[in-house]
Amino acid sequence: MAREMMPGRRRFTAGSVGADLLILLWFVFSLFPIVWMVLLALKTRSQQTSTYFAFSPTLENFGTVMSRRGEDLTSVNFSGALLSSVLNCGGAVLVSLLIGIPAAYAAGRWKYRGSEDLMFQMLSFRFAPELMVVVPLFVIYNQTGLFDTTYGMIWVLQLVTMPLVVWILRSYFQDLSPELEQAALLDGYTRRRAFVMVALPLVRPGIAAAALLAFIFAWNNYVFPLILTDSEATTVTVAVTKFLGGGGQAYYNLTAAAALIGALPPLVLALTIQRYLVRGLSFGAVKA
Amino acid sequence: MTTAVTATDAAPLTLTDVRKTYLARGREPFEAVKGMSMDIRPGELIALLGPSGCGKTTTLRMIAGLETVTSGAIAIGDRQVQDLPPGKRDIGVGFESYALYPPLNVRENLAYGLKARRVRGAARQVDQLAARLEMSDLLDQRPASLSSGQKQRVALARALIRNPRVLLLDEPLSHLDAAQRQRVRRELKVLQREFGYTTIVVTHDQLEALSLADRMAVMNAGVIEQFGTPDEIYDDPANMFVADFVGEPKINLFEGTAVRRSGGTVVRAGRDGRLAAYAPAATDGQAVTVGLRPQDARPAHDDEPALAARVVVYEDFMEFGLATLEVPGVDGRIVAQLPHGVRWRRGETRRIAARPDRVYLFDTETGTRIR
Ligand SMILES: Nc1ncnc2c1ncn2[C@@H]1O[C@H](COP(=O)(O)OP(=O)(O)OP(=O)(O)O)[C@@H](O)[C@H]1O
Ligand SMILES: [Mg+2]
Repeated sequence: MAREMMPGRRRFTAGSVGADLLILLWFVFSLFPIVWMVLLALKTRSQQTSTYFAFSPTLENFGTVMSRRGEDLTSVNFSGALLSSVLNCGGAVLVSLLIGIPAAYAAGRWKYRGSEDLMFQMLSFRFAPELMVVVPLFVIYNQTGLFDTTYGMIWVLQLVTMPLVVWILRSYFQDLSPELEQAALLDGYTRRRAFVMVALPLVRPGIAAAALLAFIFAWNNYVFPLILTDSEATTVTVAVTKFLGGGGQAYYNLTAAAALIGALPPLVLALTIQRYLVRGLSFGAVKA
Repeated sequence: MTTAVTATDAAPLTLTDVRKTYLARGREPFEAVKGMSMDIRPGELIALLGPSGCGKTTTLRMIAGLETVTSGAIAIGDRQVQDLPPGKRDIGVGFESYALYPPLNVRENLAYGLKARRVRGAARQVDQLAARLEMSDLLDQRPASLSSGQKQRVALARALIRNPRVLLLDEPLSHLDAAQRQRVRRELKVLQREFGYTTIVVTHDQLEALSLADRMAVMNAGVIEQFGTPDEIYDDPANMFVADFVGEPKINLFEGTAVRRSGGTVVRAGRDGRLAAYAPAATDGQAVTVGLRPQDARPAHDDEPALAARVVVYEDFMEFGLATLEVPGVDGRIVAQLPHGVRWRRGETRRIAARPDRVYLFDTETGTRIR
């Protein structure tokens, strides 16, 4: 059937309207928890359990969460945790890029004995439940002094970030014609300069995408900071839950406010490099 | 460093028993190139012709230094290069994929090759070469906006810009359409003559090889089957593979028996077909494979040995006609190319013959030429 698709003009058929309605329904359904959280974050403590949509909103919760008052209430330094999260995740991504980019390049360019096994091994870190490794790690961290330190977190988050960086970037390097670098070699560039000057700039979108994804996964990680940190290097994911308190001291409104603040950095990052992200998530395709 | 655009010192290129064995995990070691030897004179244009997978690209990459040499020697001029890194061999390569750097425009792409060597006057050199290749108007465009023919020219320019001693081109015309292909082929030859580079062109298109090359190497499964001028390859094939691979329409190959007579050699083929052949080395009664090019077959005179054949199809191509024939007792059909005006009809029985020196005899077992 040859149906003409006119740009800028759509046919309204029963089918298309129905599909739009379904999408809208799904949209409302999936956004609802977020809407609920936003509403909750704007309520006072006395309103937090009411289900009325009509209430007098306040921004006070955000201030409370970020200030010492929040700390006094729940003994959690949320702004400190925010900073820790940034340091832990930023550091982890940086280390992963530093080591992972050359690794991905090597894995994408050369086959050698066991190269595929090695790649699979690395991916399998993502399959294994974190709880499986975290208990022995707890013991080791306690004995080596890595417990509750930024270094320790950067170290353990490599389990999360490194496989992502290597796997995403490997596919980028594989998509790149090796003849580009070979032409540079013939021009007299060294291998390393050919890599840095020819291959690397072409996979920038991939690096951005990998870095962002790794950052988000690291940011959202809960188990490692829960077990391997206490107060100094603890992260937002752990800190948020502290507002739920213990002994009947649940601050749902503060929890919601904290969760919203905690969701902000990855969101802002994602929006700023959105352009790269769309291409990056399609895993490659950097053709001329 | 000269700033002149023309090659100052074309160099001879010598391959001595070059071999390449690929070692892949979980597979048998694979010998892709099995002892290649070639003596290429300065400024010569050589075509490497062969079917897919015969090792043409591998050979080229070994010369360029992009692939290690398992054994053997490669010399440019009097310098052994097989252990030098690619950048030290002074070789220009035109890659099949063009290898143009997408973020840079054509001008920057051309200058890129000079930058690594910190050549002075690079900008002027780029302008000169671009003018010479009639692509000055392309200089500010990005590779993505070029047609494949234009990309091809830029890739060639990129290989030429450093004024290399040897130029290697891998399937330079493969991405072009038929009309462009002819034009660029001629341009390539003119440029090569003018610049005087020692050049190897890889191709699997025999027409390209025959028309471009001073000499050509016909490769098969990692060995050179024959190395010679296009005329030698076409008129005097060394073996059945070369005869079969080069020539359009394909050569007719059929079984026969050599019969020695005082006047020379005659081959019997089919029930009562006979063809005079020039093959002093053939022994009486030897089973042979006969090779007869369609272009060499002609209507026979009444008094000479000939193949009697029934016409299955006659196709008229205006300048010539192609008759597809069936010879009783001969497996497969025989194609004869007939001059304009000779019209044979389907079902007729006709007699064909050829000049004795154009009837090739091959050893059926080994495929080598009997002459
Ligand atoms: N890196 C490699 N590892 C293993 N085998 C290889 C490798 N590169 C090429 N080969 C094999 O070597 C043989 C020759 O390959 P090559 O690319 O030289 O062929 P070619 O003559 O250029 O063919 P084409 O006309 O298809 O380009 C092929 O059988 C190929 O499969
Ligand atoms: Mg090839």
